[in-house]
Amino acid sequence: MNFDFDLIVRSFPLLLVGAGVTVQITAFSVSLGLLIGMFVGIARLSNTWIIKALAAVYVDFIRGTPLLVQIFLIYFALPIIVGQRIDPFIAAITACSINSGAYVAEIFRGGIQSIDKGQMEAGRSLGMTWGQTMRHIILPQAFKRIIPPLGNEFIAMMKDSSLVSVIGFEELTRRGQLIIARTYGSFEIWLSVAFIYLIMTFTISRLVDYLERRYKIDDKH
Amino acid sequence: MINIKNVHKHFGKLHVLKGINADIAEKEVVVVIGPSGSGKSTLLRCINYLEEPTEGEIIVDGIPLTNEANINKVREEVGMVFQRFNLFPHKSVLENIILAPMTVRKTPKSEAVKIAQDLLVKVGLADKEHAYPEQLSGGQQQRVAIARALAMKPKIMLFDEPTSALDPEMVKEVLDVMKSLAHEGMTMAIVTHEMGFAREVGDRVLFMDEGRLVEEGTPEEIFSHAKEDRTKSFLSKIL
Repeated sequence: MNFDFDLIVRSFPLLLVGAGVTVQITAFSVSLGLLIGMFVGIARLSNTWIIKALAAVYVDFIRGTPLLVQIFLIYFALPIIVGQRIDPFIAAITACSINSGAYVAEIFRGGIQSIDKGQMEAGRSLGMTWGQTMRHIILPQAFKRIIPPLGNEFIAMMKDSSLVSVIGFEELTRRGQLIIARTYGSFEIWLSVAFIYLIMTFTISRLVDYLERRYKIDDKH
Repeated sequence: MINIKNVHKHFGKLHVLKGINADIAEKEVVVVIGPSGSGKSTLLRCINYLEEPTEGEIIVDGIPLTNEANINKVREEVGMVFQRFNLFPHKSVLENIILAPMTVRKTPKSEAVKIAQDLLVKVGLADKEHAYPEQLSGGQQQRVAIARALAMKPKIMLFDEPTSALDPEMVKEVLDVMKSLAHEGMTMAIVTHEMGFAREVGDRVLFMDEGRLVEEGTPEEIFSHAKEDRTKSFLSKIL
């Protein structure tokens, strides 16, 4: 087997463009997923059964079906209902955020439940509403605790975003496929693709470590 | 100030409060004593609706506890101090105290800080405003908790075993703060095992057992001339 290093060098700029797109999808999906997850996670703890039930159905549905199928549903099935083609970028981000939201919701729920019940009681006994206590007391404390699992979720999302290549969206994996279709350099290109993913996930995990450490120090004052 | 009428509380099958009737007058210091599991903490927690009575009525300062708006209004007027302090660990002492006045009463920050600093002087912790709860001893934390409750300028203060989680040498500093509050005429309801304190500071003592109000009277009547056998046997075990 001859290893074509030059192919890697020549393809790298194109792959990096793909990596940029991967970062974009991940960043959008993770931000939206965080927002969805926070609200759904809180909804899971609601006293109103209908809100609780809706949140549970959402989480169960998303966690119980493959992301690939969810992407197909949004890209191919949803247009039939709304009668309009959906832009691949919008479809990719929608599918990924909705997917991430369900996992983040469970992380938030766990984080909120891990905060001592006395904190909510103290807030409420001071006349603060449930929402005010959530915002000022519970969530800031919960957030510190869920940084590590959130980091894992973000890394998983970055890798799973490769699935949107199936709808022709040109992120890193899809770029790799396209280059291979032209050059037949499977080995060199997949190796490069893997390497780029590794660099990106490694960066996120270092970032999460840093945040975790910073908040730990913060905790001690 | 507080009217408790035929209050029942069930926790599932457990019947914790079995028809409690009690009134607390303005500026009165009422101490609730009784064995653990007698329902005294639950009763206290019903007064600001941290526990919802299954049956019965509670009226605080003329406001019946019926809907969410009323409950929040009552909670603004009723301060509570917990056994486990429940300070907010991610906020400094000062931030712990100014949070509720700023979010609930919309007090401007400068004014809230002024109130907080005055209260810290009062509880003897003027030098601790920038400390965080975990840097304080239990007794100091509980005094901050009292200051935090007082910052809302409550008309009534509830104390739920405020010294039970403290090392013995820290009990006094907390009781002293409570004593000075009582002398200033604060209406107080206190669940405690500190009988000496109950005797000295209480205007009236309620003895509860098995979800019932067994006997009530002045400290003298309860501690020296209890009528009920249940009261006598409880006091003989702890005094």
